[in-house]
Amino acid sequence: MSDVNEKLLVVSDLSTTFATAGGPLPAVANVSFDLNRNETVGIVGESGSGKTVLSRTIMGLQPRTNVTVTGSVLLNGNEMVGAPESFKRGLWGTEVAMVFQDPMTSLNPVMRIGKQIDETLRVRLGMSKPDAKARAIELLELVGIPSPKQRYDAFPGQLSGGMRQRVVIAIALACSPKLLMADEPTTGLDVTIQAQILNLLDELKERLHMSVVLVTHDLGVVATRTSRIIVMYAGRIVEIGSTRDVFTNHRMPYTRALLESSPKVSNASHTRLITIPGRPPNLLKLTEGCSFAPRCAYATDQCHQDRPELRPADQPGHSFACWNPLPVTRGELAS
Amino acid sequence: MTDTTQPLLKVRDLKVTFGKGHHEVSAVAGVSFDVYEGETLGLVGESGCGKSTTGKALMRIVEPSSGTIELGGTDLTKLKRGGKQLRNIRTHMQMIFQDPISSLNPRRRVKDIVAEPIDCWKTVTGHDRDVLVSDLLSKVGIDPAVYGNRYARQFSGGQCQRISIARSLAMRPKLLICDEMVSALDVSVQAQILNLLEDLKAEYGLTLLFIAHDLAVVKNVSDRVAVMYLGKICEIGPADALYEAPAHPYTEFLLGAALEADPDSPMHSQVLEGEPPSPMNPPSGCRFRTRCPNATDLCASDEPQPQEIAPGHQVACHFPLSVTRK
Repeated sequence: MSDVNEKLLVVSDLSTTFATAGGPLPAVANVSFDLNRNETVGIVGESGSGKTVLSRTIMGLQPRTNVTVTGSVLLNGNEMVGAPESFKRGLWGTEVAMVFQDPMTSLNPVMRIGKQIDETLRVRLGMSKPDAKARAIELLELVGIPSPKQRYDAFPGQLSGGMRQRVVIAIALACSPKLLMADEPTTGLDVTIQAQILNLLDELKERLHMSVVLVTHDLGVVATRTSRIIVMYAGRIVEIGSTRDVFTNHRMPYTRALLESSPKVSNASHTRLITIPGRPPNLLKLTEGCSFAPRCAYATDQCHQDRPELRPADQPGHSFACWNPLPVTRGELAS
Repeated sequence: MTDTTQPLLKVRDLKVTFGKGHHEVSAVAGVSFDVYEGETLGLVGESGCGKSTTGKALMRIVEPSSGTIELGGTDLTKLKRGGKQLRNIRTHMQMIFQDPISSLNPRRRVKDIVAEPIDCWKTVTGHDRDVLVSDLLSKVGIDPAVYGNRYARQFSGGQCQRISIARSLAMRPKLLICDEMVSALDVSVQAQILNLLEDLKAEYGLTLLFIAHDLAVVKNVSDRVAVMYLGKICEIGPADALYEAPAHPYTEFLLGAALEADPDSPMHSQVLEGEPPSPMNPPSGCRFRTRCPNATDLCASDEPQPQEIAPGHQVACHFPLSVTRK
C-alpha cells in the first residue's frame, strides 16, 4: 500500500487491442512502467508505435466499442482500467489532464476561449460565474498570454497556433491536476514557439508540483526535459531508462537507429545519415518474434522466433528488450 | 567543384502580393538570391515567412507581382502564362511537395504516374518509355516489377515521396525545388529519403532549392542556407559558417531554439519572445526589430540592406553579431 502511495502512476501489463475488419490490432501490448511524483517521463516512438494509444488508455479515453483493455492503470491509487465513465470523469481534470497535439481541433472554434476555461472550473470545481472568470484570467496569465483580460473574449480562430496551445494548457491546468499527459504538445509549432511552450511546461511543472508524461516522436524534445525515457516500437516498450542511459548507453538497436537517423544541427552539412531499412510493421501482421527483427542488422533466428522480454541492464531502472543487445559503451570507455 | 561564375537560377527582388487594398499581404517582399549549378541552397524559416510562396513563385504556380526569375538566362516572369515557352522551360525545373500522399492521384497506377511527364512531352515512346519508367522507379528504391502496377493509395508516405521523386526526375530537370519534402515523414524514413536525395543529386547532376523549417534537416542537405523572416531574406551564407557563427540575431535565436537529441545540449538560455508580426502590417525599417533585443531607432527608420560580412555570407542587419562581437 505504501508503495502505491509513493508512485503517482503505476501501469502494469497494460494492453489495448482494437477489433478491426482485419482482425485484432494490438496497438499497445504488455506495457508496464511507473511514474514518481514531480517527475517528467518521455515516451518516444514513430507513428504507429502505440504512444498515443498508450497515453489515451492511461487517461481512460479509449472508444466505447471494439476495444479491449487488459492490465492495470493505478492513478494515485485509483484503478482506471474497467472503471465506469462516471468514476473516470471524477478524476479527469483534478487527477489527470491531457494536452493534445492539435490546438485548433481541441478547442471549440465557435466558443470564446474564456468560456472554454470557465466551463471546466464551473463544472468540476463548482465555482460561481464571477469566480470562474477571475480564475480563467489568472490561468491565461499563468500560461503567458499577453493582455489576458482582452483575450478572454477571443475566439480560437483569432489566436495563433502557439497561443491556442497555451489556452489548451490553461484548460488542462484549470483544476490543478497531479499528472499532465502531453501528447505531442509542440508538433506543428515553429521552433521558436516550441521552445516557449516547452519552457512553459517545465516551469509550470515545478510551480504546480505536477508529473508530466511527454509523448513525442522528436528525440530533441525529450533530451533535456525528462528524467526518464520510454522507447516504444510496434506497441511495446523496447527500452526504458534514465534519459542519459537511453541516449548514451542504449542497448536496443532500434533506439540507436532512432537516434542516429535524425539529422543534427551540430553535424557538418552533407553528413551521411545512418538509416534503417524498411518501415514499422503492420500491427495486424505481427510475427512471433521481435517486431524489429525484420529491420534489424543484428537479427538472428532466435529474434525471428522468440519475442525478447524487457530485461535489466547494468544501471538501475534501465531495461531493454533484445536478444543481441549492443555492447555497453560505458565499459568500453572505462577500459 | 561546380561552376560558380554563372548561377543556374538568378532571382532578383521577387515580390508576391496576395489580396488588394485593405487585405493586401506581401508574402514575399523583395527576395534576391542565386542558385549555382550543382549546389543545394536551403531556404529556412518559420511558418508564414514566405518560403513556400517563394518556391511556388519560382515555378509560377503563384504569380510574382514583380521581380525577375532567370533560369539559365531566360526570364520566366516575361513568359506568357500558360504559353508554350513557359511550359517548355518548366521541364527544366520540377517541384516536390510536402504531402506525399495528396501529391499523387490515389486512383492511378504508380508506373502511369511516373510516365505522365514523359507522355505529355513524348520524349521517349514505346518500349524505351517503359524501360525509362522502370529505371526511374528502381533508382528511387521501388521495384517496378512488383509495385509498378499498384495504385498510389496502396503506398505509405515514405514510398509516395519516392514515387514523387521518380516523377520529378522523369524530364531530367536541372533544378529541383523541394518544399518541406520530408516534414511529414517519420525520422527513420526521413533519413532514407534525405540520403536518396543526395545520391540522386550526384547521379543526375541536380541543383536543389531545399525549402524546410527544420534547421537540422536543412543543414544536412545544403551547401548554402538562406534564412527568411516575414517575406525577406535576413541572412544567406555557406551552411557550416552560418550555423557556426550566425550574423543575424534572428538566425541566432532560431538556432538556439532548435532542439538537439542530446541530453548534454545546453538548455535554451534565451528564448525569442513573442510571435512574428502580421505580414499585412509589417513593422517599419527592419522587419525583425519588434522582437530583436539589439534594436535601436535606426532599425525602426531604415531598412537594413544586405551587406557582405565574409565571402558569400550576406546579412541584412544594421548590427550583425559576428561584426559587433569582434
